[in-house]
Amino acid sequence: MAKDQAKAPRMLFGNKVVVFFSKPANVILVVFFVLLCMLTLYPLLTLVSETFTVHAGRESIATGQKRGTLSLYSFKKLLFTLDDGGEQGYKSSTSWIQFYSPLFNTLSVSLLSSFLAILFGGVVAWLVTRTNIRFKKFISAVFVFPYIMPSWTLAMFWSNFFKNVNVGPGTSNGIMAAVFGIMMPEWFVYGFFPISMVLGLHYAPFAYILIGGILRNMDANLEEAASILKTPRWRIVSRITLPIVMPAMLSTLLLVFASTMSAYAVPVFLGSPVRYYVLSTKMMSLMSTYKGQGYIIASVMIIFGVVILAINQSFTGKRKSFTTVTGKSSQISLVNLKKANWPIALILMIVLVLLAILPLVSFALESVIIKAGDYSLSNMTLDFWIGRNLDYLDQGDANGILFSPKVLKALGNSLLLGISCAVIAGTCGVLVGYGIVKRRGTWLSGAVNNLSFFPYLLPSLAFGAIYLAMSGKLPFINGMFALILIGSVKYLPFASRSGINAMLQLSNEIEEAAVIVNVPWWKRMTRIIFPIQKSSFLSGYLLPFVSCMRELSLFTLLVPTSDTLLTTMLMQYSEKGWDQFGNAINLLIIIVVLIINFAVNKLTGASIDKGIGA
Amino acid sequence: MPEIILENITKMFGKTAAVDHLDLLIHSGDFITLLGPSGCGKTTTLRMIAGLETPTEGKITIGDRVVFSSEDGINIPPNKRDVGFLFQNYALWPHMTVYQNIAFGLENLKWSKPDIESRVAELLALLKIEPFSKRYPSELSGGQQQRVAIARTLAPNPKVLFLDEPLSNLDAKLRLEMRTELKRLHLSTKATFVYVTHDQLEAMTLSTKVCLMKNGIMQQYAPPLEVYSQPANLFAADFVGNPAMNFIDAKAACRPDGSVGLKADSFSGVFMPDEKFKLDCSDVVIGIRPEFIGIHDEFQPGLQGLDATVYSNMPSGMETTVKLKVGETILTSVIFRGVDYPVDKKVGISFLGDDILLFDKESGLKLVSGSLKTE
Amino acid sequence: MKKILSIACIIIASCAMLLAMGAGETPADELTGVAALARDGEKLTHDQLVLKASDETGVFRVYGNTSRITTAVEAFGKLYNIQIESSNLKDSEIYEKLEIEIDGKINGADMVMIQDGAQLKSQMVSTGNLVNFVPLSVKGYVDADDQNPLVQQYINKLFIWNNKGDSVKNFTNVWQFTEPEMKGNVIFKSPELEQVNMNFLIMCTSDKWAGKLAQAYKNLYGKDIDLGSYKNAGYKWVAEFLGNCTFIKSDTTIAEEISQDTAAGKAGLFVLSKLRSSSVLSDNLTVGEYRAVETGTAIEPFAGFMYPMYAMITSNATRPYTAMLFIEYLMTADGFQPWGKSIGAYSGNGSLPAKEGDLPLSTWKDCLVMEDPDFILSNYEDVSSFVIKNL
Repeated sequence: MAKDQAKAPRMLFGNKVVVFFSKPANVILVVFFVLLCMLTLYPLLTLVSETFTVHAGRESIATGQKRGTLSLYSFKKLLFTLDDGGEQGYKSSTSWIQFYSPLFNTLSVSLLSSFLAILFGGVVAWLVTRTNIRFKKFISAVFVFPYIMPSWTLAMFWSNFFKNVNVGPGTSNGIMAAVFGIMMPEWFVYGFFPISMVLGLHYAPFAYILIGGILRNMDANLEEAASILKTPRWRIVSRITLPIVMPAMLSTLLLVFASTMSAYAVPVFLGSPVRYYVLSTKMMSLMSTYKGQGYIIASVMIIFGVVILAINQSFTGKRKSFTTVTGKSSQISLVNLKKANWPIALILMIVLVLLAILPLVSFALESVIIKAGDYSLSNMTLDFWIGRNLDYLDQGDANGILFSPKVLKALGNSLLLGISCAVIAGTCGVLVGYGIVKRRGTWLSGAVNNLSFFPYLLPSLAFGAIYLAMSGKLPFINGMFALILIGSVKYLPFASRSGINAMLQLSNEIEEAAVIVNVPWWKRMTRIIFPIQKSSFLSGYLLPFVSCMRELSLFTLLVPTSDTLLTTMLMQYSEKGWDQFGNAINLLIIIVVLIINFAVNKLTGASIDKGIGA
Repeated sequence: MPEIILENITKMFGKTAAVDHLDLLIHSGDFITLLGPSGCGKTTTLRMIAGLETPTEGKITIGDRVVFSSEDGINIPPNKRDVGFLFQNYALWPHMTVYQNIAFGLENLKWSKPDIESRVAELLALLKIEPFSKRYPSELSGGQQQRVAIARTLAPNPKVLFLDEPLSNLDAKLRLEMRTELKRLHLSTKATFVYVTHDQLEAMTLSTKVCLMKNGIMQQYAPPLEVYSQPANLFAADFVGNPAMNFIDAKAACRPDGSVGLKADSFSGVFMPDEKFKLDCSDVVIGIRPEFIGIHDEFQPGLQGLDATVYSNMPSGMETTVKLKVGETILTSVIFRGVDYPVDKKVGISFLGDDILLFDKESGLKLVSGSLKTE
Repeated sequence: MKKILSIACIIIASCAMLLAMGAGETPADELTGVAALARDGEKLTHDQLVLKASDETGVFRVYGNTSRITTAVEAFGKLYNIQIESSNLKDSEIYEKLEIEIDGKINGADMVMIQDGAQLKSQMVSTGNLVNFVPLSVKGYVDADDQNPLVQQYINKLFIWNNKGDSVKNFTNVWQFTEPEMKGNVIFKSPELEQVNMNFLIMCTSDKWAGKLAQAYKNLYGKDIDLGSYKNAGYKWVAEFLGNCTFIKSDTTIAEEISQDTAAGKAGLFVLSKLRSSSVLSDNLTVGEYRAVETGTAIEPFAGFMYPMYAMITSNATRPYTAMLFIEYLMTADGFQPWGKSIGAYSGNGSLPAKEGDLPLSTWKDCLVMEDPDFILSNYEDVSSFVIKNL
């Protein structure tokens, strides 16, 4: 706005306002600026104020003060209780155990897992976009599976696969020990290493999508120019390709870093058995006792998020200059892998099968056996899927999941939520993308750009907690509405990213050609801009849908009952130890998401990888 | 038919002025070319007139309507300015057929269906693209896409047509063909054309008036032949014409008879101005179009003129461009026939006609035109 | 970004002040609203309750941190033709939701079944957020101590171990679980994840149980306990017990894991009722106290712990009489059926016997550590910090 004023110093203020709002892009930006402030900044303030207040229950008892009193108790207790290390035989202080050590663990896990994700995702992205590797279609289709699956499923699979009687609880052998007789050491099965591995593998598709998008859009001439100069292949990769995608890789690294920081379920599954704690697990347990301290951890995570956003911002400035998308890339000459083609493809396929297919098989298997660990046919039943009157199983539901009214209702809710969030976030993403790109370079555009990305950096769990706290003040934020609201806000970044990317690819003149012939704005959007970039925009719808379908942390505090959504039901079942139902529901979620993803992809050409990538 | 008047138009991008206090009057029915090297502000000017860009300052009038005025806070959106715009990259809508691309704008203007059909048919015929009406843009060649874009722009019968380097993406032959087509369209539509190009040949051949720009500042605004023969300054002289004008630095001194004595590195001569003028500098630049350097086949030492050596010889059939070495100076000459001088041949040259130009070296401004004789 | 941040900081600071100021409140002494209705409701007979409840409209909502609530709710709904929604939530979630709903005057639960007496007392009872109600028809059968708040049932977590293999150790003293050879072999749900587990550990540090633990130590090793820097034997046992523990997220999973053929030598402290599950190989398990009854050698000084599940009405209930009727129903044999049909659940109604093959409630009360909300509340800060350091 400030800039517009400078442009027309002598214009009357009223006229200026009229002129300003006569541009739809400006209207969009102002509306979203206000909306996003209310939906992200206000909740943030609520959160911060919560860290300074005394909560009912334990805190109230400990401080002897009424709830709502302003107090530094939580800060003192969580961050500055450093001198109680010596008493009763224990070396470490409360703050060290509750905060600093988990913080250190979180940072190490996030660091390693984001590097793994970049490495794995980047290599596969390069193989798929820049070489003639075989089975490309299969690889790129299956590689996104781990990202579609709820993250903890891979963790469950990891421990089911590698556990043995020598490590952790040590009560039973997993496939590795039972079938191959190999006892993996404890560091491999539980704690830092597997958590980082699982998170790294989970987010590798994310890195693959982002880096692949850059590679795909990178002008092949840049590489060809080098190859004409007789540069060896590896040199082209290391001196041309890598430097060009480096900013994108760094930005991916930061995004993955931010995501892994707030991962909750994976460290619970793989860390708790060996007492390996991270910030998110500490926060979750504090949330039920010392909420103020929980909110402090949430704030710390958000601060990390903001710092990451700021760093990322400084990269993307440069990044744009590297990867200006001038149009659909011309023909790309692919690297010939020659003799290495088959082995590399084969190894990759095996890894993918292990990562993406085998877990599905194991879920299917676990969902049909009655007593854990006994895989004989006599121990199998389809009751958990199609049975009726299952009281004998005593696992919370009397019907197999396909006949259970409870499960079907939750499926309906999950779909409703996913679709609503997709429609809202997707549409907003298109609008935001339009506004930001049209007014690129202005203060307002930059502000909305940052704001629309901000929810990405708020840890889901913390974000859910904030909205819960807010719903106390604003009672209409309740039930399904609250879920749809928070889901739409949280996944707006995906949609706005793809909206921005789609708009950047579209030459301005395409719209101007319509402006000239008096096409009204909404018609330009619906008849010209959207149809042309249909697949990119729709990808912006698909991603929120998929994320909502598999999301747990965001919704767990806000659901009216844990039966509301498939994921919360799944987590409840898993906590109750009703593993067969849990596995069956898990498989159901994955299948539904895959089917819808596949159908949308076939019908419209939209796909998850186009969403964030491009 | 409207006149277009730009008054004191300025466009700032940050701290740099893309267009700097530009005044321009375009008569109705004109074919105006905004000419200049890239980055000179010509496209920005065009987009400001069309309403796609908002000037920082100034006033634009189309016909009897003020469409922009920073002072009065007027800014009429492009769709209300009744203009057509032809984009450099055509901006065809890839998801619509040729027919739909042309008809879409008319639908928005609430034309009746039969009217649309007949208008589109007319345009398809006019631009000779009837066979492609069902095709999508990606199925057309560059030239065909260009024709579709033109048809789409012409469809609503705009009174003013803006063309932003429309031919730059075409190959040489197509460009020539489209140039003819555009000139024909200008006559048949009787619309005002404002045309942006960096190709001086296009500007020369197409327009009724050329607006030459550099760094956001107008250099000259005149009919093409005037720009060619009476360039306002060194920049205009250099930019227009191919091969480029010969520039020779010289010291000038007035003589009592009104002529000017010139002393260049490799020769000295006397300049007879066409009109009276006051010489208030001694450093001048002599500007000689290549066609005004005559070559005498037979080398005759002492003939009126200069001794020169053929440096290189480029016959193109119809004409021949000859580079000549006079002392240490290289001059370009064009003769209108095919000859093939051997390199290093000694020839005599003389300066023909009275369109030889003198420029002030410091300011670059044209001083006067006249004839030049060597001494 | 900078601008946004600086603006945000200013707003944050001012909002924090505002929010903090608006929080004062005064509890009312006079019983009003639902509390008054519940007091009067205690005088109503079953038929009168049915009548009053039938006048109420809308959905009846129940939160409970027991999965079988679904079955009870369905049966109750059918019986009285009432539309019910039940939610099975974690206790912490219930407390969280209740607080928000009641503070925000949001229509939420009418009635809850909830554990963790300490938190219940401090957060819900003392604030008047939850209202107690003892149905007239069962008042005579409920232990006076269990009437306020009303205990719907007791649940016990017992020492249970795998009995496969030749060298099965039979545990007769809780100090055996702290021995080096049990390192990593004792499986427990982290007290961070379930408050009743934390409550149990806190109770261990009370004078009563610390004394018994010291005695048990002497009985086992024949010498007095060397406390070192520990405040009492309770702290020492808690630290050493937790030191040997492996934490698993759910009691069902603990039961399943320990019952594996491959889990020889493993022991756990978990909910007895999990043995009912078809996925648990219960033949592989020995329940400490059952064995003690058979052999006559009890586990010293306790065989596990036991905690109540309370049934209470929310102060913002929209169907208070339905809530009273449901509480009454839960206290009857039919209402208790979903839990009572298997071992490990004991109705607060003394006239309902424990499941055949199980031991009666009175026996359990003697051999298990019971919650004392007051002790837990006054020692929570101290002991929970201590416990956390041992996780």
